[in-house]
Amino acid sequence: MKRWSRRLRQLAVGVLDLPQDVVLEVPRITMIGHLQMYIENHRGVLHFSEKELRLLLTNGQLIVSGEQLVIRAILPEEVLLEGRIHNVKFVEKP
Amino acid sequence: MRNMMKEWLEGNITIKVRGKRFERLVNMAVREGIHIWNIRRIGTELSECQILIGDYFRLRPLLRETGCRTHVVSRDGLPFWFRRIKARSGFVIGALLFFLGLYMLSSLVWSVEIQGTYHISPTKVGQAAEKIGIKVGAWKAKLEEPQQLQRELLRLLPEASYVGVRLQGTKAIIQVVEKEEPMPKPAVGPRNLVAKKRAVISKVMAEAGKSMVKVNQFVEKGQVLISGVIGNEERQGLVAAKGTVQGEVWYESQVTVPLRQSRYQLTGQQQENHYLLLGSWAVRIWPVNASQYAKAETSEERHQLGLGAAFTLPVGWKTVTLREMEQKNKQLTVEEAVEIGKQSARLDILKRASGDAQIKDEKVLHTKTENGKVYLSIHYTVIEDIAEEQPIVALPPLPDSSENKTE
Repeated sequence: MKRWSRRLRQLAVGVLDLPQDVVLEVPRITMIGHLQMYIENHRGVLHFSEKELRLLLTNGQLIVSGEQLVIRAILPEEVLLEGRIHNVKFVEKP
Repeated sequence: MRNMMKEWLEGNITIKVRGKRFERLVNMAVREGIHIWNIRRIGTELSECQILIGDYFRLRPLLRETGCRTHVVSRDGLPFWFRRIKARSGFVIGALLFFLGLYMLSSLVWSVEIQGTYHISPTKVGQAAEKIGIKVGAWKAKLEEPQQLQRELLRLLPEASYVGVRLQGTKAIIQVVEKEEPMPKPAVGPRNLVAKKRAVISKVMAEAGKSMVKVNQFVEKGQVLISGVIGNEERQGLVAAKGTVQGEVWYESQVTVPLRQSRYQLTGQQQENHYLLLGSWAVRIWPVNASQYAKAETSEERHQLGLGAAFTLPVGWKTVTLREMEQKNKQLTVEEAVEIGKQSARLDILKRASGDAQIKDEKVLHTKTENGKVYLSIHYTVIEDIAEEQPIVALPPLPDSSENKTE
């Protein structure tokens, strides 16, 4: 069943030309240099400190590391992060 | 994403959160729809974030659940502003009073300007304006419409053909346009026109009255030319005689012209001397060696330091311009001398005759050259206005006849 639904989604992306983040439930990330980062489609904050932000995704985790990180704003599915970002890392769900 | 305006209007607080499960608190708060921003981690168990005041109480059950404690660090926004303003009410009242005072002062008339008066005195216009309320210190709101004010002012000032009233800020401008009234004629009593000189009449034009002379008639001084008595034997009336009577008058002029004429002429040489004025002293500064002219025309210009005429310093500057003159002699011939004599004689005659005199004829009677001078005697025939006014003094009515009737 799950395999079928994934295949259907892949098909929709290919045939109907829909944006992938809408269909596949993956985050859409907008970065302005290393200063600002705008993440949509997250599923909650796992860990937050000055050096690291760990966000839960539908299919794994997103780890942003840097310095002087500040969450400027947060909504159920969006995060606006500011600071000096060094690293963005995806961790797939095993 | 963030509504800064709303954050400020509703008021927000910065809180410090102490607790291990801060991330969980944030997630739950976000899910609850609590606005939360500027989140930063300060220490291992200490974080800071900003929320709206209204959301603070919604956050409490979540705090209990996650075992976190909060501490308000700072308050910002309109509600807190109001509280601060309440504490400093004197300041606010002062500001309000200032604006009120400014508004009130600007709604008064502070000056009345009157324009366009020539014959009507501005004081009179000012008094009329005061009567209908336009004066210094009047409320602008209490004044009527400019149209109405104009109408009333015009009624009070019959000499004006138009009065415009305009309020420009705190200044009331009254524009007056005066009626162009002809000058009143001086009242004249009954009179005759009589001759002021012996003359031969050349032209008579009577506008009022009866002309008593004809052209080419010889008149003596004091003879009636135009009579103010009109009518026939039975019905007589008196008028102010008016008209022009021109007559030929004879004059004789004696002129003496010296044949040797001397006059001063500018040579074109000039020099500017600059002086420094100290009190009543004048010290020449430039040029050091002034050339001396035997005869010169001088013109002087002074510059005194100070403020206007009221206050002057005793220090100043003077420039004297000298223009050299020299004497020129000229020997005239007899003909030239006669011509010069005639010119001066004409001027003399026109001065002796009245205003619009005209020289009709000029005849040199006699020329004599003696002792380097030319003696001339010239006869002139001049046409001039010879009429002179003479009031008719009416005889007083017989005193006894009227008195008898009243008794």
